[in-house]
Amino acid sequence: MKARLILAAVLIPLGLIIAAVPENTTKPYKLTAEQLLEEVQSGTQFIHPDQVADMLVSKDPSLQLIDVRNADEFEKFSLPNAINIPLTDILNPEWEGYINQDVKLNVFYSNGSNDANEAWMITRQLGFKNNYVLQGGLNYWAETIMNPEAPENTSPNEEFLKYNLRKGAGLALGGDAENTQSAPAVSAPAPPIQKRPKKKTVQGGC
Amino acid sequence: MGPLIVNGIISDNTNLFLAFLIGIGFGFVLESNGFSSSRRLAGMFYGYDTTVLKVFFTAAIVGATGLLFMSLFGWIDLSYIYINPTYLWSTIGGGVIMGAGFILGGYCPGTSFCAASIGKLDALAFIGGMFIGILIFAEGFPLWEEFYNAKFMGAPLLSEVLGTSRGLLTFLIILVALGMFYLGEWSERKFARSDYQLNQK
Repeated sequence: MKARLILAAVLIPLGLIIAAVPENTTKPYKLTAEQLLEEVQSGTQFIHPDQVADMLVSKDPSLQLIDVRNADEFEKFSLPNAINIPLTDILNPEWEGYINQDVKLNVFYSNGSNDANEAWMITRQLGFKNNYVLQGGLNYWAETIMNPEAPENTSPNEEFLKYNLRKGAGLALGGDAENTQSAPAVSAPAPPIQKRPKKKTVQGGC
Repeated sequence: MGPLIVNGIISDNTNLFLAFLIGIGFGFVLESNGFSSSRRLAGMFYGYDTTVLKVFFTAAIVGATGLLFMSLFGWIDLSYIYINPTYLWSTIGGGVIMGAGFILGGYCPGTSFCAASIGKLDALAFIGGMFIGILIFAEGFPLWEEFYNAKFMGAPLLSEVLGTSRGLLTFLIILVALGMFYLGEWSERKFARSDYQLNQK
């Protein structure tokens, strides 16, 4: 009898507390190695430059470009309206408001896709949503948007449509860049990119 | 942080070692509660001894409350806790067979080993019967395979079915459990037997 009273005296208040507090949904988030591998392989984190260019041109307010290169590189050249969160500094609580949110579409970019992909992996493991990676990074961006290659005459119409869109976007975005001080830098990363062999491999990839 | 094994905080071998220690503790608690007495276990059915109900329901509500608090403090991720999938018909069938064996033999599988370890012959016979049952089930599996897999329901949670929060459901179960303890002790007085003393082993 007495044991039951003690049990009731302990468990009823605890039960009341647990019934009253909201369930803890902010669980410590961690993907297993297999899950992460699957996501990396499926490549759903990538956003094609065409889409980013389209959003930039239409001034889509939901787009948030995040430059994960270091501050020097960011100073030299950056995409319009991008913010700079260097990869080494990504765990700084100062940035959490930017990378842990569910309003904007965050697109990480770096010169290639590696650093941006690392940033994405970290945020993915932290359970943050809406973070993506600019496919191919700035190199591919320069190839596709800034210096699109004209399709051959025999190409299907869609290729010409795509080319025109890219050219238009390149002009619109490049034009913006010319008005700012960063204009000369636009061409700076360009030379290594225009290497023919690399271009072909990237094109083969897409 | 938790579950420890899923998050790689402890290794598989450490896990087995901890399971070994917990197993010893469980056996000790069963034995010290008199669960190695077949009369005590069968008494649950006849109503003269409801220790089984009290011990297991106490374990359930303490465990449930503890898990929810640990989840609240961020010590464990409840989505990693394994929940037995429900095959409705085989669950009911298994429950009936297990219950009948419980009343007839006076043991459940765990307590039969508990009693065998202190040298009870009826428990040894019970374990023998259990192995025969396992053999029949395994060898005749094609015969009841369809029944075994029928009415698969995934791993539904009572709180999801009822649409309440886990905390509220736990609180209600605590109230129900305490009510059942009261009923159980009433039944112990009502169905008391002259040849059975409640706290014997």
